[in-house]
Amino acid sequence: MRYLPYILKHLRRNWMRTGSTIVAMSICIFLFCTLQTLIRAVTFNLKSANANILVMRHAVSLVFNLPIAYKERIASVPGVTRVGIANWFGGSRRPGEFRDFFPNFAIDDAFLEMYPEYIIPPDQEQAYRQDRRGCIIARKLSVERGWNIGDTFQLESFIPPYRVGRPFEFVVRAIYDADEKRHPGTVDNLMFFHYEYLYEMTNQRAGIGTYRIQIADPAQAGAISKAVDALFENSDAQTHTETEAAFRAGFVSLAGNLAYLLNAIGLAVTFTILLVTANTMSMAVRERRTEIAVLKTLGFPSGLVMGLILTESAALGALGGALALGLSSLAIGNLTKLPFIGDAVRGFPDLGLHPLVALLGFGLAVALGVLAGLIPAFLAFRARITDLLRSA
Amino acid sequence: MAIVDIEGVRKVYHRDSQEITVLDGINLRVPEGEFVALMGPSGSGKTTLLNLIAGIDRPTSGRVMVAGTDLSLLSEGALASWRSHNVGFIFQFYNLIPVLTAVENVELPLLLVRMSKAQRRERALTALRVVGLADRALHYPRQLSGGQEQRVAIARAIVTDPKVLVADEPTGDLDARSAQEILELMETLNKQFRKTIVMVTHDPRAAERAHVQRHLDKGVLTA
Repeated sequence: MRYLPYILKHLRRNWMRTGSTIVAMSICIFLFCTLQTLIRAVTFNLKSANANILVMRHAVSLVFNLPIAYKERIASVPGVTRVGIANWFGGSRRPGEFRDFFPNFAIDDAFLEMYPEYIIPPDQEQAYRQDRRGCIIARKLSVERGWNIGDTFQLESFIPPYRVGRPFEFVVRAIYDADEKRHPGTVDNLMFFHYEYLYEMTNQRAGIGTYRIQIADPAQAGAISKAVDALFENSDAQTHTETEAAFRAGFVSLAGNLAYLLNAIGLAVTFTILLVTANTMSMAVRERRTEIAVLKTLGFPSGLVMGLILTESAALGALGGALALGLSSLAIGNLTKLPFIGDAVRGFPDLGLHPLVALLGFGLAVALGVLAGLIPAFLAFRARITDLLRSA
Repeated sequence: MAIVDIEGVRKVYHRDSQEITVLDGINLRVPEGEFVALMGPSGSGKTTLLNLIAGIDRPTSGRVMVAGTDLSLLSEGALASWRSHNVGFIFQFYNLIPVLTAVENVELPLLLVRMSKAQRRERALTALRVVGLADRALHYPRQLSGGQEQRVAIARAIVTDPKVLVADEPTGDLDARSAQEILELMETLNKQFRKTIVMVTHDPRAAERAHVQRHLDKGVLTA
């Protein structure tokens, strides 16, 4: 601690150079934090995938629906304990305007029984079951939109079969909570409503987007998937069944290349900043050859001189990191308000600067600072006093 | 008793394939409380001899005893610690740290000593009072004249109360009046505070202040 004022004074010595290095470092860490936040948001709900649930969809694409009649036949397969329904509705209050978007699904009662992670008070669940127009919304949605039990709102889907010339009207009958400790990764911004309502409103044209198949033994997931797909092998609508984790990973893989690209950009920027900071530290140390000689002459051990330079370098990184965290927090918090980008990220759950990402970003900044100072510090460690004085 | 006792010291530098003998068989004894001036032409080895006495360089052969310690037996770390307790170094170009105030510069050697911040400040101010610059304690080097900067450097050299002061052309970068003041200050340190001083100088007027003048030529003490 007694050396801290000395280190800080040196950082202020060439404030323009120090300032620009801190800004460069902060941009690097800002990019890291923002990109990691986006990647984390994309991969978030993989965590909550259930091992004992399979997802069946149309073999060609999710765009095509499956017949309702499949439900009974799936349920008859040995090892299957329950079959539920989930259709992506794609509804918003103003169709085509993604600013207002949140994920919403048409489900049946079996679906709710398969996902205990959506914690709903029993009386509210009862009320939901008894109201055909009833819906369940996440606590976060309730807070954000100001929707409470009994409130009504309208949604219109952008998916052609679900566009019926008028909006769907919903009544909030239940609000679910997520328990992040018991069920990590539970998505906290969803809305569920009755599949029957969708079926009726579309004049019985709505098929099934996905079947959720609960199985007794997760170890049998592969065999059961094959068995249920085999049931419909010779039908018009062939199926593709996989574990819930694989199903969700399929969505993530759509963004896989994006994540790779973002990581590659982040790595390139990080390496560039490492070089910039190393150059700054080298210049700073070269300028101070005489001072290093003086410190050593006064009796400062070489290890302490090296430590002072490394600490100065780490402080440079820490200042850049702190600035970056402030910037990231501000930027990520306002990301959804931006045009285009905001539309793309609005549906992501848990979009915010996660403490782990912040910690990683700050750690990276300090590590970059230390790395950048390593060579100049080592050269100062090895340098002989007489050589330093002679070359000054 | 000799506080500096140098016996058969040789110092050889290697430059490419060339071997350059800078000091050749030096024997020198400096009694405690002495004020010695080392004189000689450029390249005669004055500064090298001073560096050996200060423990910032090592001889190729021979023995350098200062303040009762054989410096050639000390490791790098032990030598650094020895320097911080026994030697005060005064440079020709002062070599103050520009981002630190006068008092902070004087405090630097005390950072290595276990003492409170207040004690450190008090001792640094005392050293500045000795050199007559207590009123400039909070000034930065750029706000001081050359003579004042050298006074601060002297305060830094004496703040740990070392037994030996070594000065490498302390008046070499100063005007005549400032040089006189610095020499008077060094005389005071020698007489009143009983500091042993070894000073390298080109200036005969500076050398006159010393009790003893030794001359070096081509690495050999001639007088």
